[in-house]
Amino acid sequence: MPKPVPAVRAQDLLVGYGGAPVCAPVTFTLQPGRALALVGANGAGKSTVLRAVIGLLEPVKGRLEVFGSEVDEREIGFRTQVSSVLDDDAYFPSLSVAEHLYLVARGHGVRDAWDRVDELLEEFGLTEHARALPVALSSGQRRRLLLAAGFARPRSLLVLDEPEQRLDRRMHARLMERLRAEKAAGGAVLVATHDPALVRGVADRALHVDEERCELLSAEDGAALIAQVPA
Amino acid sequence: MTSSETVDGTPAVLPGERGELPSAQAVRRFTAAAGRTRAGAGVGSLLSDVYYAVIMLAIAVGVALGVAQQLRVALPPAPAVAAPHGLNLPTLVTVLVAGLVGVLVSLAGRLGPVAAGGAEASWWLSLPVPRRGLLRPAARRLPLVAAAAGAVVVALLDAGLLADGGDRVLRAAAAGALGSVLLVLLAAVGQSLGVARRHTALVGDLVLAAAPLVAIGLTLAGTRVGALPVPSWPLLVVAAVVVVGLAAVVDRRLDRIPARTLRESGSVVTQAIGAVVSMDSRELGRALSAGSESPARRRISRLRTVRGATSALITADLVLLRRSSRHVVQLAVAALVPLLATVVPQLAAPAAVLLALLLSGMVAQSATAEGARRGEMAPVLDRALPLAAKTVRRLRMVVPGGVMLVWNLVVFAGLGRWAADVPGWLALAVAGTPVWAAGAVRAAYRPAPDWNKPLVSTPMGALPTGVASVIARGPDVLVLGLLPTWIAVLLRTVSPTLLLVQAALAVVAVLISSSLATGGVMDWMARQQELLEEEKKKTGARTGRP
Repeated sequence: MPKPVPAVRAQDLLVGYGGAPVCAPVTFTLQPGRALALVGANGAGKSTVLRAVIGLLEPVKGRLEVFGSEVDEREIGFRTQVSSVLDDDAYFPSLSVAEHLYLVARGHGVRDAWDRVDELLEEFGLTEHARALPVALSSGQRRRLLLAAGFARPRSLLVLDEPEQRLDRRMHARLMERLRAEKAAGGAVLVATHDPALVRGVADRALHVDEERCELLSAEDGAALIAQVPA
Repeated sequence: MTSSETVDGTPAVLPGERGELPSAQAVRRFTAAAGRTRAGAGVGSLLSDVYYAVIMLAIAVGVALGVAQQLRVALPPAPAVAAPHGLNLPTLVTVLVAGLVGVLVSLAGRLGPVAAGGAEASWWLSLPVPRRGLLRPAARRLPLVAAAAGAVVVALLDAGLLADGGDRVLRAAAAGALGSVLLVLLAAVGQSLGVARRHTALVGDLVLAAAPLVAIGLTLAGTRVGALPVPSWPLLVVAAVVVVGLAAVVDRRLDRIPARTLRESGSVVTQAIGAVVSMDSRELGRALSAGSESPARRRISRLRTVRGATSALITADLVLLRRSSRHVVQLAVAALVPLLATVVPQLAAPAAVLLALLLSGMVAQSATAEGARRGEMAPVLDRALPLAAKTVRRLRMVVPGGVMLVWNLVVFAGLGRWAADVPGWLALAVAGTPVWAAGAVRAAYRPAPDWNKPLVSTPMGALPTGVASVIARGPDVLVLGLLPTWIAVLLRTVSPTLLLVQAALAVVAVLISSSLATGGVMDWMARQQELLEEEKKKTGARTGRP
């Protein structure tokens, strides 16, 4: 049987801004159906690694492949495969919550998009706010809208930047469930997080991102590290 | 949620059955339709907007024609014999057009020229639909604005300064429009090829800086342009074909523009539009500077001049200015404008020189106060250092003062040559320097306008009360504090009395700009009036008299 193409393969990848790296080189492979958690202190470079993986930042050095090809978010195929939820807080002021989700689902060719939107609204506790405009939402509700949008579309790789931020306990548990289901369905998950429960409950491995040295750890060690790292 | 194999790009996780992908136009239409539904805008509102736009355009054309006519009437005829180190008007206009080229390229680089801001970047760019269809309206916007601006400015220069008419002005306007579109489209091709925005902006800045230097060179060499080179109609048709071809190339390459540059440019455009709408020149400067500088430095400044809190603040301001190429270019170009005005015989009248000095001086002094502007926005250093707020204000005048002293000496040496008294004008330059620095710092620390106050009718339309006085903070000190300089320019002579008064006003200007009060002079007067009324009432109550 042929070996599956890794969802992400980074070899001595150096990321940063204006040619200046923000952390040590990272090397990791993420297979479909697996989850990798990026852990480390604030400003260590976790989000910068994620931005490079989704093509919003050119690597300073090293090799980075997503599903066997060099990262190029200009390619439609890349955008079909990779779903990302970063900390963007920009919305169309005149589109309601439901319409934002419909735009994503329908934009990715999902049939019966309104049915999928209704399911996601229910799951992310946004049904009551379906007709609300983004300006009327709290920061937690806007966060849930972003997360729901990440799940509204087909994907093979899900990239999340601190998805646990601004979520209550119930929503946090649902997110964990969702991410486990994602893996079971064959999707790969790459997540930057400060949440030990998320690392233990979802991730198969953890990558410690640091200025001095980046190393792969077990999920348990990754979760333990979060407790030691200063915020 | 269903799962499938990851074969041939089929996503592994499908939230539902997959159908056909919508077209980019359908995505745009869906977003626009939802917006229209909630905007509550009917046909009446649309017609009203169109009517308003047409009226505004007509007024703008009328004002432009009026200015051109005024210039024609006001300008004296060219002297029969050219001065040995003079510049004629066609040469000056050619140099101004070259400067316009620099401004356009610089702005095109800073604004994208293709951009996708905020929500569009977050919600559209990740969709697997061809980006060309999504970005097409955004890609048309800047070339069209550039065409309109290029046509109006070139036509105004040709009709106003060179007194050309009819067909020639039309051809000049067409050339201005086509040339402007061509430049923006070239910048767009560069953007699609991965040329960094700051590199395009730098090219524009260099062209802008070179234009007046070339003019000075031509003046010294005694070389003159006979007439503004205006292309013939057949050549304009060829240029139009080239522009259409280039537009098609840009359209085809829209798919190749990376999301990161679209996002960066979009953020700058959004910030710049917000600044223009709220008439905040500080914010506009910040928007145009954002991302156009290298995000990392090759060399870390050792800050060797830092000896304590005072020198730390001054050093920080100096480093900021040194690192902003846009502001250095702004200073150099602004210094050459009044010099050019003095060497063109038709413009060398006192009123024209005064106007050139005032406008270019305001442009120059605003370039020197980057430290103060940043300090006003995020007073990190101000709070970290053990310095009183008033002292911080005074220290913030040091860098603008030093830079404006050099600027003033260069410009006033030229004015001294024009007025045949170089030492006297240099003395006036030194005496007036603190006023420029005070104006720059006062403008940098002005409070944000309060847009919630009742509207009043102004020549610029309905504005909340107090907005004009906020905008005037800084320029008010310049206009009043440099009164002796303006009088000297109008009389074309410097007297000891004017020098003394100028030095005294410089001290007053520095004191005013050191003040932490946020109200303007009018606010102060209104407050004094209120206090007087209160005092009268109290006195009346004590004596039993009304």
